Amino acid sequence: MDDSTRPQRLGGRELTPVSPRLVPARYLAAVPWWVISLAIAIACLVLGLRLGWWWFEVLAIVPILWCLPGVLLTPRRVRAIGYRAGEEELTLASGLMFRSVTTTPYGRVQSVEIHEGPVERRFGIARLAYSTASDEADGTIPGLPREDAEELKELLTRRGIERMQSL
Amino acid sequence: MSTEDAAHGPAGQDGSRRTHPLTPLLTGWKIFAGVIAVIAAQNLAQLVGEFTVRRALLGLGALVIALVIAVGVSALIWWRTTYEISSDGVTRRSGLLTRTGRTAPRERIESVSVERPAVPRLLGLAKVRVEFAGGSESHLDIAYITAADAETIRTEILDVAAGGPAGRAGTTGVVGAAAGGSVDGGPAVDGTTADDLAAGDAPGTPAQAPKSAEDGMPGAPARDRGLRESLREVAYDGVTDGDLIAQIPTTRLLHAMLRDVGWLIGLVVGVVWIIVTAIIAWRTDGAGTGLIAAALPAIVAVPQAVLHRLEGGWGFVSCDTDRGLRMRRGLFSTRTDNLGAGRVQDLRLRRPLLWRGPAWTEARVSVAGIGEDDSSAATSALPVGTREELLRTFGHLLPTLGTEDDAALLDRLLTARARDLGGIGPRHRLFFIGRRTRRVLLLRGALVLRSGVITAKVQVVPRERIQGLALAQGPVGRMTSTATLTVGVAAARAEIAGVDIADVLELEDALRPDAAQGRRYRDRDDWPRPPLGPHAHAPSAPAPPIAPDSAPAPDSAPAPVSTPAPAPGDDA
Repeated sequence: MDDSTRPQRLGGRELTPVSPRLVPARYLAAVPWWVISLAIAIACLVLGLRLGWWWFEVLAIVPILWCLPGVLLTPRRVRAIGYRAGEEELTLASGLMFRSVTTTPYGRVQSVEIHEGPVERRFGIARLAYSTASDEADGTIPGLPREDAEELKELLTRRGIERMQSL
Repeated sequence: MSTEDAAHGPAGQDGSRRTHPLTPLLTGWKIFAGVIAVIAAQNLAQLVGEFTVRRALLGLGALVIALVIAVGVSALIWWRTTYEISSDGVTRRSGLLTRTGRTAPRERIESVSVERPAVPRLLGLAKVRVEFAGGSESHLDIAYITAADAETIRTEILDVAAGGPAGRAGTTGVVGAAAGGSVDGGPAVDGTTADDLAAGDAPGTPAQAPKSAEDGMPGAPARDRGLRESLREVAYDGVTDGDLIAQIPTTRLLHAMLRDVGWLIGLVVGVVWIIVTAIIAWRTDGAGTGLIAAALPAIVAVPQAVLHRLEGGWGFVSCDTDRGLRMRRGLFSTRTDNLGAGRVQDLRLRRPLLWRGPAWTEARVSVAGIGEDDSSAATSALPVGTREELLRTFGHLLPTLGTEDDAALLDRLLTARARDLGGIGPRHRLFFIGRRTRRVLLLRGALVLRSGVITAKVQVVPRERIQGLALAQGPVGRMTSTATLTVGVAAARAEIAGVDIADVLELEDALRPDAAQGRRYRDRDDWPRPPLGPHAHAPSAPAPPIAPDSAPAPDSAPAPVSTPAPAPGDDA
């Protein structure tokens, strides 16, 4: 783990990726937003035509542009998420452009929750949220296969009790 | 004083108690004033415009009825509210029909404050606030009780928090003592500090205070000292026993306010704003509500800013007791707070430009559960202190930094140029200010951050308090190959920004085991009093001053006092 073996990306050592099923899940969850954006774009176009305001049609680009990063980058964003359940601490890395790597020792974890929305349930994945006394060390791991999420929760709880520390 | 038995009279068989019978008057008045303020503010012009005697009388009658109702409701609430101090913690039960109980659990009690706002203070009443770790609204108020009771309850709660039995038996006995002003035992005999007060001077050199306590009584006339002592106890709300840590004379407080340039500029801007709006209003023949609305924020903020600083430092005195640091402050509203050393998550020092001459420093701490906003006075450990006071405060709140000479290091952090400090810091050209001012030092006991261009700022995070680490890098960071490391502790964080990625990763590797590691100060049974400062030097194990990549060795560090040793002032 010296500097020469460090990959370019922060926290990129032996990370466990999240389930690739998170990609369709995120797309599906984004569908309502796409519909709304599309509706706004169409409304802009129609109004622009009706009123003869050409600049109003240009405005139709805005909602499309707003949706575009999500459409293009979601697979890469999901692949950028990774976690590592180490000996002493849990590491969570995420983000492409703005990358962040959070390290949370098991002993500091105060609560662990599994969230499962309707879309997520359809794809058999879940979110694992854990919190500590500090906002900086809280985290949410999205897109865990359900059994993995249960396993990780078990691990967090068990190690948390073993290594329990107060503030 | 005779009413306190009445206050305890209707106590339940299981030790639940009620607050002072004057409470509904005080709380009811507040509700009443609030209603009046809202109504008056909304309809002031109309009320003035249509003024007749009959209407005034009618209004007055309505007000009296409203007042009676407000006080009546408050009385009902008071009657149904009880509090209880047991070995599990502090519980308050309230509610007219559905009883709700709120408990501050014993093991999570962070601090106990006695607040005496201006009006209750006139009636000799006080409020006890118990802060415990938890969300943002994690405090429990016992309001209002007599000042003597407040002191008793304070010690009782602290005893409970420290794991002792709920001291019900001792209550009446201690009330008698508390009436004299001293709670924890006999009156503290400490000739030096009493003389300092009488001289109206800064407290003596740190070498003096403990020495005189060891020597017992110096040869001053006993009667004279007794008078001074009782005067001092009255003036400082009984915060006199224990080793004196810091005491702020009024002259220093006022000087410090005038020398705090940033604060002063804000004040001057506010005053100028008020004057300008007044002149415009005068020139344009009082062109109405718009101008008043424009001036209103400044009119409210300026006196508040002054009052806040005055209240925060007036008559400030802090003492070392066996339950941590005990502080007293306030001019119109006074308060006493307790800061247990085991509760301090980080310490921030601030020294504005013009405080550098007299070497004054402000020290604030972070305590989990006490938000920065809701009772900021409780976390201000030293409003403006001299070098010696800072060192003593520091030594009583934090474990050692783990260097050969912590005091010298603190001095250097507050005065030296960043590049002379060593450690790591921003190096890239883009951070042209940061690389001259920001420094991060990883010491054996703590992570120390220094920043600030004009105002020197130092943040000290004890390594065993670190809860987690967050490393972040954005496009700018990638361009300059730097990253931001945020070190999280409960209720606070330390951000290390713009430092080269290799340095940051090295620092993260060094800190990661700390975050996972158990704390040395495991229980509040032992309030640690690690020695720091010139008067009592730690026989600390020799350690490399800056060792960012060596594994921390907490076990070889000087062990804290495992049993609460009596404060030096107590055994007299």
